[in-house]
Amino acid sequence: MICAARRSLAVLILVFGATAVAHGEVYQEPGAFVAEVLGSTPALKVLWLTREMQGQAAAILGHPPAQLRQRYWSDAHKTVWILEETGKEELITAGFVVVDGRIDHVRVLVYREGRGQEVRQSSFLKQFKDAKAQGNRLDRDIDGIVGATLSVGAMERMARLALLFDRLSHDNAHG
Amino acid sequence: MSPKLLLLLFLRRWHARIGFAAVVFFLFLAVTGFVLNHSADFGLDTKYVHAAWLLRWYGIAPEPPRQAFRSGRHDLIAANGRWLLDGRLSGEKFPQPVGLVELPGMVVVASSTSLYLYGKDGALIDRLERNALPAVPVQAIGSGEQQLVLRTARGTFESSDGLAWELAPRDAIAWSAPAELSAADRERYAALLEPGISVQQLLLDLHSGRIAGRYGPLAVDLLAVFLAVLSLSGAWLFLKPRHRRERH
Repeated sequence: MICAARRSLAVLILVFGATAVAHGEVYQEPGAFVAEVLGSTPALKVLWLTREMQGQAAAILGHPPAQLRQRYWSDAHKTVWILEETGKEELITAGFVVVDGRIDHVRVLVYREGRGQEVRQSSFLKQFKDAKAQGNRLDRDIDGIVGATLSVGAMERMARLALLFDRLSHDNAHG
Repeated sequence: MSPKLLLLLFLRRWHARIGFAAVVFFLFLAVTGFVLNHSADFGLDTKYVHAAWLLRWYGIAPEPPRQAFRSGRHDLIAANGRWLLDGRLSGEKFPQPVGLVELPGMVVVASSTSLYLYGKDGALIDRLERNALPAVPVQAIGSGEQQLVLRTARGTFESSDGLAWELAPRDAIAWSAPAELSAADRERYAALLEPGISVQQLLLDLHSGRIAGRYGPLAVDLLAVFLAVLSLSGAWLFLKPRHRRERH
């Protein structure tokens, strides 16, 4: 009986693990998002996060940034950021377009959590339109979604991070 | 003694008995439920328990590491979704590596669909997924003339920084290849790289009773029935004397 119990537990873990992977839904490839937003795929740019920048990012995320090199794309007016942040257990990949220090456009590109996919709906995402930075938060409250609280929080943090990265990239460009 | 009084005494006695007998279980359910409800706040979703006895209980057989990848002064041993890179443990759920190369200023680990670029201090510089790679699956990783080289089914590509890729013209490429571990090393690394159970998963299994196998949830169901009996008998005991007083 104990063996059967152990087997069923192991199977449960494997099933839930496999389910989590299987739930990873790609709504749009990041490259396709960049091409759609900018008309083509311009040269990749890189923002290296200095220790000070890492501190600023950590204050927004609540944890240190996952990596020290952030890739992005830009044209004369906008910057495009593909960011990842954990919702409940899995990473959410989202694309952010920033124009003049405001969020112009947000799209969820890959969603890997078992539930909470509602954050990809335009009715939710349109709340980010024209959002600006205010301290370590956005200048507005984003209405939550029942059952997707952590994913909503992750989207807010990523939006605020995109605004920070946009400012830092402009600061770098202007010397 | 009237039947109603007898029923009242019976209910009072069993209400107390069930409540006393189940107090530990109810407290346990209440505490695990509370912690689960705030697992993200407590960071439990990212914490893992690594214990051999727990793995045995769950029926999970750890995969012992068999090979190591070495490049320059760096080495990587992987098993059970965990990496030991230069003696530093990674988190969980890491892919199976296909190779490791050392380049000026960085160490690069490849899996079949991703590249992990680390600084010399072990800090993650960048993680490149399939959309940032020239082609997948990556079959092998190597280096040549300070260039990072990937072999894929669509050809061999090289890059100096992992950002811009072009077809590799060179033949002199040092491909990363695994080296067999000695029995002693296998044993040593197996202990370091044993898989873990997430604290959230463990709490969920404790709360639902699944930790005890197929009969665990039935035991929790029984507790739920007891709780329902307690609620109903408590409500009856609370209302009945009041109802009688109001009639008098």
